[in-house]
Amino acid sequence: MAQHRETHASAEAIAAKDTLGVSEAWVMKLLLRGGPIIALFLLAGYLSAVSPHFRTTSNFMNVLAQTSVTAILAVGQTLVIISGGIDLSVAAMMALAGSLSAVSMAYWGWSVWLGLPLGLAMGTLLGLINGLVITKGRIPDFIATLGMMTTARGVALLLTDGLPVPSHVTAIQLKAYLPPEIIWLGSGTVLGVPTPAVVAVLTALLGWAVLHHTRLGRCALAVGGNREAARVSGISVDRTKITVYAFCGFTAGVGGLVLTGRLNSANALMGDGMELQSIGAVVLGGTNLFGGEGTVAGTAVGALIMGVLGNGLNLLNVSAFWQRVVMGLVIIAVVVFDQWRRRRFGA
Amino acid sequence: MSAGEILRAEGIDKRFPGVHALHRVDLDLAEGEIHMLLGENGAGKSTLLKVLSGSVPKDAGRILLRGRPVEISDAHDARTLGIGMVYQELSLIPGLTVAENIFLGRWPTRAGGLISWSEMADRAEGVLGSLGVQIDPRARVRSLSVAEQQLTEIARVLALDVQILLLDEPTSALSDRERDRLFGLLRGLRGKGVSVLYTSHRLGEIREIGDRVTVLRDGRKVGTLPVAEAPEDAVVRMMVGRDIRERFPKAHVPIGDPVLTVRDLHAGGLLAGVSFTLRAGEILGIFGLRGAGRTTLARALFGMTRSTRGQIVVNGKEIVITSPEQAIGHGIGYTTEDRREGLVPMMGLPPNITLASLDSVTRAGVIDHREEQRVGARLVEDLRIQPPTLARPVKYLSGGNQQKVVLAKWLASRSRVLIFDEPTRGIDVGAKTEVFHLMGRLCGLGVGLLMLSSEIPEVLAMADRIMVMHRGRIAAEYGRGQATQEDLLRCAVGLAGSRATEEA
Repeated sequence: MAQHRETHASAEAIAAKDTLGVSEAWVMKLLLRGGPIIALFLLAGYLSAVSPHFRTTSNFMNVLAQTSVTAILAVGQTLVIISGGIDLSVAAMMALAGSLSAVSMAYWGWSVWLGLPLGLAMGTLLGLINGLVITKGRIPDFIATLGMMTTARGVALLLTDGLPVPSHVTAIQLKAYLPPEIIWLGSGTVLGVPTPAVVAVLTALLGWAVLHHTRLGRCALAVGGNREAARVSGISVDRTKITVYAFCGFTAGVGGLVLTGRLNSANALMGDGMELQSIGAVVLGGTNLFGGEGTVAGTAVGALIMGVLGNGLNLLNVSAFWQRVVMGLVIIAVVVFDQWRRRRFGA
Repeated sequence: MSAGEILRAEGIDKRFPGVHALHRVDLDLAEGEIHMLLGENGAGKSTLLKVLSGSVPKDAGRILLRGRPVEISDAHDARTLGIGMVYQELSLIPGLTVAENIFLGRWPTRAGGLISWSEMADRAEGVLGSLGVQIDPRARVRSLSVAEQQLTEIARVLALDVQILLLDEPTSALSDRERDRLFGLLRGLRGKGVSVLYTSHRLGEIREIGDRVTVLRDGRKVGTLPVAEAPEDAVVRMMVGRDIRERFPKAHVPIGDPVLTVRDLHAGGLLAGVSFTLRAGEILGIFGLRGAGRTTLARALFGMTRSTRGQIVVNGKEIVITSPEQAIGHGIGYTTEDRREGLVPMMGLPPNITLASLDSVTRAGVIDHREEQRVGARLVEDLRIQPPTLARPVKYLSGGNQQKVVLAKWLASRSRVLIFDEPTRGIDVGAKTEVFHLMGRLCGLGVGLLMLSSEIPEVLAMADRIMVMHRGRIAAEYGRGQATQEDLLRCAVGLAGSRATEEA
C-alpha cells in the first residue's frame, strides 16, 4: 500500500513537473507558432497607421463579417487536413446547401425551422458522401473532393436554374422571400457584433471542442499523424475519415446559410474560390498540411489575416486584380516561413 | 601507413537518436584484399560502410585514402575517390531499365547531349556479362526477381571501375549458383588489386572468400584477424561477447491455462494450416526467415490480414477477427516490426499510450484529459521512459524509449495476448535488456506472449517454446533448451522438420 502510494505520488510529481513543461511549451509556442498572430498584428498596425478608416469600429465589424464565412469553412477544413485529407469541395457544398435551403424556404414554403436544418443536413450528407467515396472507393481525397466540387455546383445549378434564389423576378411576381431570420443570420447583429462573426466563433468553439475533447478529434490527430499506428491501435481509419468529412460538410452547410443571409439570396455559384481561401486560412494558421497537428485557433487567426489583408487592400484602393496577386504571394510567403521555422526549431 | 594499405578509418564515431551506432571504430583495408566485416544485427556494420561511402555523415574520426585524409560527404565524393557501395536495401529505380539504372546519372551521351541508348545497352551488356548473368539490359527493373535486382545493383557499382568496393550483405537474396558467380568475380577483382569490404551474417562465407576478418559488437570494434587465425567459434564468441544470461534476463514464471488456441489457420495466401496453443505466462517464440509467414500469422491474428480457414479460440471462446479493433476487444495486442507503425510522432506520451485503450479514458465520446495524464504518467514512471516529459512529441525519444512507449500502450490496454514482432530491432543493447525484463513482467501478469523474431540467440534465450515456420507452415517445434542455432536454421530453410513429420 505504502509502496503504491509512493508510486502514485511520484507519478503525480511527474505530472506536476510536466505542467511546468506545458507552460514553458506555451511560451515557446507563442514565440514559434505565434508567427501568424504576429503577422496579424503587424498587418493591422500598418493598416491602422496608413488608413484612418481602417481603425474605425464599423470597419472592424465589417472585417469580422467578411471573414466569417471563410472562417466557418476553414473550421471543417482544419479537421480534414489534420486527419491527413483535404477538401476541395467546401465552397461547392456550401453553395448547394445554401441553395437548397433557400429554395425550400422561398419556393416550397418551408418555414425557417425546417429550411435551416435542411441546409445543414444537405451539407453533412455531401460531406458524408465525400468520406464514403474516399474510404470505400479507395480514391485519393484530392480527387474525390475535386469530383464533388464540380458535381455539387452542377446540382446547385440544376436546382436553381442558374438563377439567384429568390431572384428579382420571382421576388416581385411570386412574392417569394427568404425569412427574416436568414437575413438576420447574414446581416444582423448580436449586441453590436455581426451575427456571422458570432456564428463563426461558435463554429470555431465547436471545432475546438471536437478536436481537443472528443474521441473523434483524437482519432483524427492519430490518423493524420500516422495512419498505420492508428490502425494498429484499433482506431477505425475509415470511420474517422468519414465522420471528419461529414463534420466538414456540416460546417460548409453553416457557411452556406450565413452566406445566403449576407447576399440576401442564394445562388449556385456563390463562394467561388472559397475552398482555396479556407485551405489558405488553415495553412496560415500553422496546421501541418500533411496532417497530424494543427489548431482551430490558428485557423481563426489565419482567416483573419486573409480578411484584414483583403479589407486593407480595398481601403488602399488596390485593384481587385492586384489583390489576388498579393493574397497568393502572402500565402506562399507565410508557408515558406512556417516550413523554415519547423526545420530550424524542429517545432 | 603500412605497405599496400589503401584505406584507413580512424576513430569513426556516429550517433543516431537513441543509438550510439559506432564508438571510435578503426579499420584498415589493404590493396587487393577481401575484408569481411562481421557482427550481429545492430553491431554497426552497415553504418560503418555507409560512413565510408558518404551516405551517412560521421560525427568524429577521419578517413585516409592512401595515407591522405579525405572528406567523403556524399556518394559523388565516394565515386570520385574510387569507392563504390552496394546497399543492402535495393536502391534501383523500378520504372527504369536495367541499363538506365546501371548508368544512372552518367548515361553515355553523343553530340548534343542526347543519350546514346545503343552504347548504353552495349556497355550494360558487357558489365552484366562479366558478372556471368543473363539479364536483358532493356528490361525494366520492376520485372526482375530480387536476385536479379541485386545483381543489377552490383553491376552498377562494377561499372564505375572502383578501387574499393563496399558490399553490404550482397548474398542475402542470391541463390548458391549466383553467389558462386559473385565470389568468382570478387576473386577476379582482388587479382586486379581492387579491395573489397564485405559484410555478411553467413559465417561460412569467411573461409570461402575472406582474407581478413573484423568483428564489430554494439558499435565497437572487437578485433581484426587474418582468416587463417579465425576459426568460426572464435568469431562467434567475438560477435556475441557478453554472458548470455546477463543479456537475456529470462523470468521463470508458472505457465497457466491456454489464452489463445489457433487451429488450422489459413491466411493471406501464405499461411497453410498453422495450429498452436499459447498459455498464460508463456513466451512462444516463432522463428522463420523472411517470407516464411511469421508476420502474416501476426497480422491474421490481429485482423489485418483476412484468414480464409481455421479457428481462433481466445479464453475458451471461438472468435472471428476481421479488424484490429476487434482483436483489441478480445484482448490481443500487436507491436509491429517497424516501430514507427506503432507511434504517432507528433503526439505526446499520454495520447500515444492511451491510443489503443481510448475507451477507458473517454466518457460518451469525451476524453477525460486528467485520467489520461494519470495513466500516461504512471506508465512513464513504471517503465522508466526517458525523458519523462509527457507533453513532448514521441518523435524526439530514443529508439529504445519509443519501443517502451509502444509497450506501455499495450500495458494500458490490458491485453491478455501480446504479439511482439521483432521487439528489439534497432534499439540499443541496454534497451534490449529492458525490453526483455518487461516481457518477463508481462508473463508474471499472466499475459501470453508470441515473440516473432529473426534473432536466433534472442529466441533461444527468451522463449519457453519455439516454433519454426517455413513456407506458411510450422516446420518444427522445440521445448526450451531443446534446440540449437543450427536446428532452427535447418528447419527454417526446409531441410528438417520435427513436428511436420510427427504429425504426418
